[in-house]
Amino acid sequence: MIKSIALWALAILLAPFFSAVILKVKAFFGGRKGSPLLINYYTLIKLFKKGSVYSTSTTFLFKLGPMVSLCAAITALMFLPIAGQPPIFSFSGDVIFILYLLGLGRFFTIVAAMDTASPFEGMGAAREAYFPIICEAATFMILILFYIFTGKLQLAAYFSGGHPLGLWQAAGSALLFVVISFFIILLTENSRVPVDDPATHLELTMIHEVMVLDHSGPDLGFIEMGSFCKLFFYATIVASLIFPFELGHPALNMGMFFVALLLVYVAVGVMESVMARYRMDRVPKFVLTSFALAFFATIITLEFVK
Amino acid sequence: MDLFFLSILFIASGGIFALLLWRRFTAMKAAGVLAIGAGCFLGLIDALSKLFNPGQVSFSITYLNGLSLSFKIDGLSAFFLVAIFAVSLLAAIYSFHYMDKPEKALRTAVNYLFFSLLIVSMALVVTAENMIAFMFSWEIMSLASFFLVIYDYQSPENRKAGYLYFVFSHVGAMFIFAAFGIMYGYTGSFGFTGALPETAKILVFILAFIGFGSKAGVFPFHVWLPHAHPAAPSHISAVMSGVMIKTGIYGIVRIYWVLDLHTPLFGEIVMIAGMVSGILGVVYALGQHDLKRLLAYHSVENIGIILIGIGIGMIGVSFNNPIMAVLGFAGGLLHVLNHAIFKSLLFMGAGAVIQKTGTRSIDALGGLLKNMKITGVTFLIGSLAISGLPPFNGFVSEFLVYLGGFQGLALDKTAFVLSLLAIVSLAVIGGLALACFTKVVGVVFQGEPRSAAAEDVNEKGPAMLVPMLVLAGACVVIGVFPRVFVLMALKGVESLGITSGPVSFAPFLQMTGNIALAVAVFFAVFLLIMVLRMVLYRGKTVGRSGTWGCGFTQPTVKMQYTGSSYAASILAFFRPVAPLHEDHPVIRGRFPDKTYYRSHVNDIAELHMGNVIVRPVLWLFDQLRWIQHGDIHLYIGYILLAIVVLLFFV
Repeated sequence: MIKSIALWALAILLAPFFSAVILKVKAFFGGRKGSPLLINYYTLIKLFKKGSVYSTSTTFLFKLGPMVSLCAAITALMFLPIAGQPPIFSFSGDVIFILYLLGLGRFFTIVAAMDTASPFEGMGAAREAYFPIICEAATFMILILFYIFTGKLQLAAYFSGGHPLGLWQAAGSALLFVVISFFIILLTENSRVPVDDPATHLELTMIHEVMVLDHSGPDLGFIEMGSFCKLFFYATIVASLIFPFELGHPALNMGMFFVALLLVYVAVGVMESVMARYRMDRVPKFVLTSFALAFFATIITLEFVK
Repeated sequence: MDLFFLSILFIASGGIFALLLWRRFTAMKAAGVLAIGAGCFLGLIDALSKLFNPGQVSFSITYLNGLSLSFKIDGLSAFFLVAIFAVSLLAAIYSFHYMDKPEKALRTAVNYLFFSLLIVSMALVVTAENMIAFMFSWEIMSLASFFLVIYDYQSPENRKAGYLYFVFSHVGAMFIFAAFGIMYGYTGSFGFTGALPETAKILVFILAFIGFGSKAGVFPFHVWLPHAHPAAPSHISAVMSGVMIKTGIYGIVRIYWVLDLHTPLFGEIVMIAGMVSGILGVVYALGQHDLKRLLAYHSVENIGIILIGIGIGMIGVSFNNPIMAVLGFAGGLLHVLNHAIFKSLLFMGAGAVIQKTGTRSIDALGGLLKNMKITGVTFLIGSLAISGLPPFNGFVSEFLVYLGGFQGLALDKTAFVLSLLAIVSLAVIGGLALACFTKVVGVVFQGEPRSAAAEDVNEKGPAMLVPMLVLAGACVVIGVFPRVFVLMALKGVESLGITSGPVSFAPFLQMTGNIALAVAVFFAVFLLIMVLRMVLYRGKTVGRSGTWGCGFTQPTVKMQYTGSSYAASILAFFRPVAPLHEDHPVIRGRFPDKTYYRSHVNDIAELHMGNVIVRPVLWLFDQLRWIQHGDIHLYIGYILLAIVVLLFFV
């Protein structure tokens, strides 16, 4: 239990660091030195020190948005097995709860954006409402596959304990599809290239960044922190799938896990460096690919399991 | 049974008092609300006590010397009675300040009369024990609600809506009559007994499903719903959408229980109907510009979720998987209660908005949260609940349905495919509902007013605000402490006797305990973040200024994203099932004239029902027009001929 809590705290502390890795990779591809790996901590400290300016159009929902989205992400991490260790809380069906909790965070992010009466933020909000619908379908498709493998609806049963899911098993071939599929979901849910561009300042091309245009100070810090935690959540699941878990010694396992996690973040960085963002009407097709892959994986495992 | 009939008497007297007192407007409303409210309150207490203290009570009277009308309350009836009386009680209170036009006093009094009749007939429908009593109450219910729908009969649109509803409820009733007729043909008794051959059972179920489905608003029999709900006064919409359409669900479950045939076919039919209704309902809802029409389409969606749950339960029964059966039925029944709560809350909120602004058009509103705090916040809670998000009540029932669906993955191939589709549909429905309600909350309650109608509104009338607060409170309480409410649903399921032995409630209540724990964790984290935020903002300068326009200095409220633009890209994705009809002139020249843009999402059921059913029927009757020629002698000849032909059969 104490170990789980320690890992949870570590996850929150390390999430900004890992996100900075992406920036470093992008800088490398751009031939630049890039900002230091601790840049996100500096940004957070800077934001937390500031005050805020609120639009006259906004209501209390504008302030509630950042809190709820951060809260949802941090709570989700409590149910996430990190490095093969059991999470703090776990029960049958917790995956559904977490997915819907992240949905609650999304609801409040959208509502906070709509609060500003800004056409740009409305545009971002409409996209934020649209793409995750397909993501959710794909995620539940993956859950169905996991349920066929384990007979459980519990994150702890998938990624911790005696028989975790992993690429290096008999069923691994199907899980390869899942890894790709879930990586697409990761990119979409966390507003990364090729779905969204976290670096651009052209409001018309953005989803997540445009929704937070009016937030400032600690509120913006909460939003940033929330998105670091959310990315960490998704990246951990991908890392757990590709990480074999069989090094014997706990310390080695832990080290191996963080290497895998780093790999996932580097992969996100490489994606962002070598790809351009899709035109908005192409995005649904890209996201649907993840659903198709998960569906295909489920179909081919059906015969496997019997 | 005594208390139940006492409450019925109170409610019925409320309508009559109101009619007698119509010249004194306030006294009339007070008498109506008090008597109806007291009756509903008594009925609610009675239903709760009967739900938790099992033991069937029945009562019967003889009508017209030959026909016996008998009524019985078992767990399932009691569960539906709880929803009916709770929502009707709050709707009656709401109506006190909502019906605010003294110049329409007589019409208001008539409205109270039919309102009381509607409540009474709904209560009798779910307790009826034989066909006669059932159809008797069912018809009163349909007629009473028809007169409530045409309250504003001066508007031709409302008359059309009423007519459409009238046709649908009677064609539906015809199917139910046909189903009951087959049952009577085999058993020779008006009682609900299922001693029929298997093929007859299947036929009866399908006929009854169409009949009850048209009342419940199952796709494609939902066409009347989006017309009738906006036409009716809002407290009536709340009752009709919240509980009246659920009598259709009650009918489906009851007929399933009566037939007692465990073929997977029933579950398959119900599940497929549920998935189609669920997804299409929410897609059409997303395309609406009228606030109440949007909510009406959400009823179609939620009926879909309920049917998915019940279908999962039926499949669980036919595969002898008690866990799946109980999860599906309990999830479906709990969603009946949850939907009754949040949908009546949303309709009451919409009613308050319409009363204060005078418009139902979503794109004409905006910024209402600033002046209508209670309406706005309760509407937000209702929106979160209907989107199925924790920690609100919609999540609890959807969670149970999900768990039931995952159980189905282990069964045979058909059940596997259906369960897979059900899980994915639920996920898609959840996402679409979130998109739809962020649209409503964002466009109606947030931002800046888009028209003069939405400016300078205020919030008045405590009788309207209190029911909304109570319902919003219920949404949170069920979401945070689901245990006792899941137990209620389980009691309702228990009376169905779907499992061979007694079912232990413990594992199901354990699940609700888990939700309660997870929600508590969420609130604890939220509290910490709130404290952190307070600390971070202590002593900081907090300013106010206009919204950042990305360098543009002359923004106007017309530039805000509208509901239509918000939904446009999602609707484009569903174009094949939701064809979008757009109308706008081409813009010409350097100084173009004033222009406009209209869009309308076509409901394919409505579109095709006209082409496929109504037109051929009209054509057929056109061909038979020669029979009606106006010659009285031949008419008498028809009568004679009919009697002679009948003599051969009797």
